[in-house]
Amino acid sequence: MKIELVNRLVMFLSLLLAQVLILNHVHLMGVGTPLLYVYFAITFRRNFPKWLLLVSCFMLGLFIDIFSNTPGLASCVMTIAGLVQAYLMNFIAPRDSAADLAASIKTLGFSRFLALSGIITLLYCLLFFALETFNFFDMLMWLARSLTSAVLTMVLMLAIESVRSK
Amino acid sequence: MRNLLDFLYKYHHWLVFILLEVVSVVLLFQYNSYQGSVWFSSASAVAGKVYELESKMTAYLSMAKENEELTMRNIYQERQLDQLRRLYAEVTKDTTDAELKELEFLSQYKLIPAKVVENSIHKLENLITIDKGRKDGVEPDMGVACGNGIVGVVYLVSDHYSVVISALNAASSRISCAIRGRGYFGYLHWYGGDPSVAYVEDVPRHAKFKLGEWVVTSGFSSIFPSGVQVGKIEQAYNSSDGLSYKLKVRLSTDFGNVRDVVVISDKSIAERAALMQAARDSISFKQRQ
Repeated sequence: MKIELVNRLVMFLSLLLAQVLILNHVHLMGVGTPLLYVYFAITFRRNFPKWLLLVSCFMLGLFIDIFSNTPGLASCVMTIAGLVQAYLMNFIAPRDSAADLAASIKTLGFSRFLALSGIITLLYCLLFFALETFNFFDMLMWLARSLTSAVLTMVLMLAIESVRSK
Repeated sequence: MRNLLDFLYKYHHWLVFILLEVVSVVLLFQYNSYQGSVWFSSASAVAGKVYELESKMTAYLSMAKENEELTMRNIYQERQLDQLRRLYAEVTKDTTDAELKELEFLSQYKLIPAKVVENSIHKLENLITIDKGRKDGVEPDMGVACGNGIVGVVYLVSDHYSVVISALNAASSRISCAIRGRGYFGYLHWYGGDPSVAYVEDVPRHAKFKLGEWVVTSGFSSIFPSGVQVGKIEQAYNSSDGLSYKLKVRLSTDFGNVRDVVVISDKSIAERAALMQAARDSISFKQRQ
């Protein structure tokens, strides 16, 4: 448990710094920004204490918000992503698997991991950009930003995951 | 009672979830108001420090280009000043008077040099973080300019950092501008998209101007002194209600590459703002009677 918490903390800090120093400056075709920190919410193991999962997702979101001047935005959506992950993990994991199954390509297999991360990332991007453009809601722009960002995030995430699973 | 406790124990993560969401939503809506807390912004001590380190590391990459631009502008302005001095002397036959007036004008403003530590241009609501705060004399509502023109208006201030509403902020930035030498004024508004193009709205229909003329700050907004460069008029359109012109302006500031800025502190602003407030109060008091 202790090693797991240290691992989580390292992941928290590295995703936070990667996002605010590098990824927030990426704007593919002026619309797509990779939101890689959602990877933090996706990789919790099954039956991780739910309250801790929610609080740590919220904290990561809040720190991202503090750095990018969007208080409440990422923290709100990250908390939702954490909750969805906790339930989706039970649903997607094979029935006869271990109770503390980790969420990675190695343990879940490519297609199951793709489904888990795909659903959460897409949901995350749709909610994030809907809330961000609350005042100037433009359907096409919203879809374009959400989808390109979701695709970018997935590509990065799968690249990292395939390196980690070797 | 026991059942209730069991229920709460089993579903306590839902309570945590609701609590965290409420906190997020409060933050989300509170930040839009002017009293938004500086602790949750990039002007907070930790975020400011991280951005400052990053900006120090990347600053030298763009230094050469910026220096070149500033030198060019310096030379241009020196020549302009020289010409104006000569013209003034020809008209008034008096050179000492001009210098006195110049000094008097300049002493009205205090310029606080600052460095941009964080900046964005791709969002609809762009904000800039600078490395000077309350302890350096920066206050909310002060204007921020760089060597090439306007940058924005100070919004939140912490002890050592400030968040500036960039002129490229579609939701909150309205800077009062005028056409140089003509005096007609309007409001600078940015609609997102191209970071080098903005629009001046509410320019009266009878205004006379040429394409390619300069737009500068008007000095009415009590944030910027008059005459700070904004950009060149590129095109003129009719506004949607047909009552005024809308000017497309090519901004002179390269927002993608602002590094050194100055915060303009005008001692007379507070006085003017207080006078304006007093006038408003007395009008509303009369209306109530």
